[in-house]
Amino acid sequence: MSTVTTETPTYVGKRIKRKEDPRMITGTATYLDDIKLPNMHFAAIVRSQYAAARIDRIDTSAALALPGVVAVFTGADLEGVGNVPCGVSLPGLRIPPHPILAQGRTYFVGHPVAVVVANDPYLARDGAELVEVEYTPQPGVSDPEKALEPGAPAVHPEWPDNVAFVHKQENGDVDAAFAGAEVIVKQRMLQPRVVANPMEARGAIGDYKSAEGTLTLHSSTQIPHLLRSIAAAVLGVPEHKMRVIAPEVGGGFGCKADVYAEELLVCFLSRKLARPVKWVEGRREHFQATSQGRGHVDYYELAAKRDGTILGIKLKIIQDIGSHQQLLTPLIPTLSVLMLPGLYRCKTFRAEVVGAFTNCFPTDAYRGAGRPEATYGIERIVDCLAVELGIDAAEIRLKNFIEPQEFPFSTGTGLIYDSGSYAATLGIALETVGYAALREEQRAARAAGRLMGIGIATYGEICAFGPSPYTPAGGWESATVRIEPSGQVTVHTGISPHGQGEETTFAQIAADELGVSMDDVVIVHGDTAIVQYGIGTFGSRGTAVGGTAMFLAIEELKKKILKYGAMLLETEEVEFSAGRVVCNKTGASVTVAQIAAASYRALKLPPGTEPGLVATSFWEPTNFTFPFGAHIVVTDVDPDTGEVKITRYVAVDDCGKIINPLIVAGQIHGGVAQGIGQALYEQMSYDENGQILSGEFTDYAMPKAANIPFIESLHTETPSPVNPLGVKGVGEAGAIGAPPAIVNSVVDALSHLGIRHLDMPLTPEKVWTAIQGARA
Amino acid sequence: MISQEFDYAAPDTVQAALELLAEPGARPLAGGMSLIPLMKLRLTAPEKLVDLRRIPSLRSIRREGAFLHIGAMVTHYELESAPLIRQECPLLAASAAAIGDVQIRNSGTIGGSVAHADPAADYPAGLLALEARVHLTGPTGEREMAFEEFVLDPFTTAIEPGELVTAVLVPVEDPGTGVYYQKHPQPASGFPMVGVAARIRRQNGHISFARLGVTGLSGKGYRAREVEARLIGKAGAEAEVKDAAAATADGVEASSDIHASAAYRSHLACVAAARSILRSLSAAN
Amino acid sequence: MKINGSHTLQGSPETIYASLMDPAVLAQCLPGCQELAAAGDGIYNMKMKVAIASISGDFTGKVAMENLVPPASYRLRVEGAGRIGFVKGQGEISLSAVDADFTLVGYEGEVHTGGTIAAVGQRLVDTTARMMIRRFFEKLDSVMRAKPGLP
Repeated sequence: MSTVTTETPTYVGKRIKRKEDPRMITGTATYLDDIKLPNMHFAAIVRSQYAAARIDRIDTSAALALPGVVAVFTGADLEGVGNVPCGVSLPGLRIPPHPILAQGRTYFVGHPVAVVVANDPYLARDGAELVEVEYTPQPGVSDPEKALEPGAPAVHPEWPDNVAFVHKQENGDVDAAFAGAEVIVKQRMLQPRVVANPMEARGAIGDYKSAEGTLTLHSSTQIPHLLRSIAAAVLGVPEHKMRVIAPEVGGGFGCKADVYAEELLVCFLSRKLARPVKWVEGRREHFQATSQGRGHVDYYELAAKRDGTILGIKLKIIQDIGSHQQLLTPLIPTLSVLMLPGLYRCKTFRAEVVGAFTNCFPTDAYRGAGRPEATYGIERIVDCLAVELGIDAAEIRLKNFIEPQEFPFSTGTGLIYDSGSYAATLGIALETVGYAALREEQRAARAAGRLMGIGIATYGEICAFGPSPYTPAGGWESATVRIEPSGQVTVHTGISPHGQGEETTFAQIAADELGVSMDDVVIVHGDTAIVQYGIGTFGSRGTAVGGTAMFLAIEELKKKILKYGAMLLETEEVEFSAGRVVCNKTGASVTVAQIAAASYRALKLPPGTEPGLVATSFWEPTNFTFPFGAHIVVTDVDPDTGEVKITRYVAVDDCGKIINPLIVAGQIHGGVAQGIGQALYEQMSYDENGQILSGEFTDYAMPKAANIPFIESLHTETPSPVNPLGVKGVGEAGAIGAPPAIVNSVVDALSHLGIRHLDMPLTPEKVWTAIQGARA
Repeated sequence: MISQEFDYAAPDTVQAALELLAEPGARPLAGGMSLIPLMKLRLTAPEKLVDLRRIPSLRSIRREGAFLHIGAMVTHYELESAPLIRQECPLLAASAAAIGDVQIRNSGTIGGSVAHADPAADYPAGLLALEARVHLTGPTGEREMAFEEFVLDPFTTAIEPGELVTAVLVPVEDPGTGVYYQKHPQPASGFPMVGVAARIRRQNGHISFARLGVTGLSGKGYRAREVEARLIGKAGAEAEVKDAAAATADGVEASSDIHASAAYRSHLACVAAARSILRSLSAAN
Repeated sequence: MKINGSHTLQGSPETIYASLMDPAVLAQCLPGCQELAAAGDGIYNMKMKVAIASISGDFTGKVAMENLVPPASYRLRVEGAGRIGFVKGQGEISLSAVDADFTLVGYEGEVHTGGTIAAVGQRLVDTTARMMIRRFFEKLDSVMRAKPGLP
């Protein structure tokens, strides 16, 4: 009888520096733009400077005459080549055709109109400047609410109402809840578009080899396998002859979990010109033609009893879709509906999402993808309720929280929350920040004319995407774990990390499970020719789903290892312990390395056992996971300038089991920084026709180091029952908790003046103007 | 983005630079913090860049009697950190320290900034309050003028074709003068939405000297002379200062953009002026 | 972006109005204007070379005068597009005599920008537009003063 035991972990749970970092900080990592291929040429894209316009004439002759330019293509040349795809299906979803280059009409500023290919990137750009395009501008619309008004310019002439889709969901008797309510609060809220701005912008290289009929696409992507399948289908290349390689990717935040015109374009160019063609996105292009986040106009209504019990929620979301549907564009706001009730037990709700076409580039996933929007809304409206009823913000939440004994909890939106301890986590946040003392301090501050605010946001979120019936392309994840003859370990993971650190955390997990050194484990990802089919990295799924697949593959390997161990030790009384198979009676043991050598040499094989030590697992999760947390933010508002200063930031986040506290801290810090950006600084501005007004960092305000306060980051660990690692996911948490905590804090600072709500970003002028208005 | 092709020269004397700049299509390159981004955006395409960074005579800081003579190619970082500047002209050091970020300050130069005349630059507030002078060298010789007269309009100065700003002169500050640069940065670019620099002296408990420079509010920086006049003789209590500062934006056509309306900017100028004056007062003897 | 303002010029509303309608005068006063050719119906095709700071760009476009009510008012439309972006402005121009020798010229309208200058230059659009309008009037004033036979 063999038994399996695992040693006390030696890596998991420890603060371990990342294996990825040395190559990144010494400049030896290979990003897309570092890739040089023989005879590689360079593409520069000619982009429309008008949003909605008719293209009257394109003259490419001057560009073609420039020495170094080998070709210029326009929309006419790409007729019949496939369209940029949308991967979502919803009833009544309108998907406008999305050709790779504009055909006869442009829809957004930056719409690709032509492409110049040259043997040098500088000449390609010079050539692009020489392409002459004549446009007749048309009226356009950039505000999604205005787009839905009768008489608004039609973004697509076939759909003059500019409605991209309508999605409704409801549960319970909402009308009765509202009819029987003792109080109803209503609020309109804006969540303006934000630009992802990863440090590395996008880029792609198409490399078609005609003699073999193979196409390799190098792309700064989060989803290499999905990109391969989709691009192969669009371009008519057999899938088995297509390869996608994600090199080092310098951040994605969701904007690289997509399929873009430029990725398809470089493939077309390479095939047409029989040489590799590279396109690298400039920062200005990123503002024009990479998917953006948020873009909500929300109408919330909350029905409640006088004691603060929430009875029902109504929500209308007007989602700014943009001009076309990118890969997941219409899915994102439907995720907001799923998370509508937040951490509260109310199951009665009615939600409606209206997607509106506008003359701007499409929105799509951006850190949190629909869940930050939902959390912002529910946390803001609950604060409005608290103020209306004169109940403390923490108290009203505690009153409505789902309690630990209620898990697994079925929400009215169709989710089953796995585990949670919401009151305990909020309690820790309140204690850490010294809530009671802060409220005292606030009383004194108000008396002295100072504007001090305390804001609470409690959030839950859907992570570890997810059960395949609920995901557009499958939600499982894969891993192949290979123990080499030397005993060292190679893991091929289907996820595609781009800053999340799985080369480190997976090595920690694998090393602990197999009892080997972390230095003896290497994690490989990103190349579809090397790694078995996988789904990719987004939705905080890397460790929860990908790590679980790896864990299960290792479990399979352990069974085989034990068989070999039993054979080599000539006894069945064996167990696995700290990298060895040990005989429980005699203490004799063999190492994993010895077993590996034996299994490949195959002098003798255990009965019914193959040589080799390789196992593959494809793991289908049974549920999403539901991380949660509480953020408390203390702000000081300058009454004379409206400037907001965050004086304290306390974050208590529960991501289930923590594999590497250093990496988790990084994720929280980064997410909070993006949340601060959204709450106080960032807003993508367009004029009413769709002209870009904030097209560079001179006008689009990214949060900088000096803007980020010290983040007091604590954790509770409520393991997820969904996966054997107990991991929930943490990539998006900071970006979800921060915006509502900050806005709640500033509104709290001004609530004694009668101010009930302010929209993001809380610019100094906006805050100052509200104060002036209240004092008038 | 990628700039257009250009030629490049790096002379080591002012004379050589002037000769190169006499050619059509030639432009001087100082720190490059304004010029290079414009070139990358293809908003400008000089045919030849004449790099001034290798001219030693433009990099000196020295005291000349009652003035500090600062070479045009002295960087913001050098001004923020040089002991001579910190002691003898602390307002200039404070202005330099407020510019952009560390990388920009390591490259950007006072001469480049002054010649570029961006209406939202940081230096003008301090240079106006200091009654600074600009030294120009050109094919016809040397000349000098008040900074206040040098800047005419957004990006427009009294520089003649072929001339270079070769130095900026600021007075050695009287000990006992309190100075402060109050800046409210635009959160994206870091340029001042409004910046006010103050120099205040007191005698027998009353303000005897006041100079106030404002930048960012409109098309060019200006001296807030009405505010200065209101301050003279006052003890400097907060209410008096706020009252005086209320005139900061009077008669000025304030700019408006997506970050701040003209009305808010004007209000902010008055707030910044009051704070700048009060902080100068607490530093003054 | 909304713009409005006024300038006082030497001359009577009649002489100033006539000058504003005169393409030769306009070509001198529109900053950077290199060519202004009549296309009929109060419309003129225009080529401009704009140089502000280091930023320089060639623009082609048109100037149109409409709703003429001499010598009191008219609507001016200016459009220019180039590689660095485009500008579209329109304004109601009004003239009224201040006294025997001077006229107050008022303008009220909107300016829209697009392309690169709009995307990266928002903080400068307002100041630059005002500066160019001011330069237009300053040039017009000096042109008016140089005209023989003015009171």
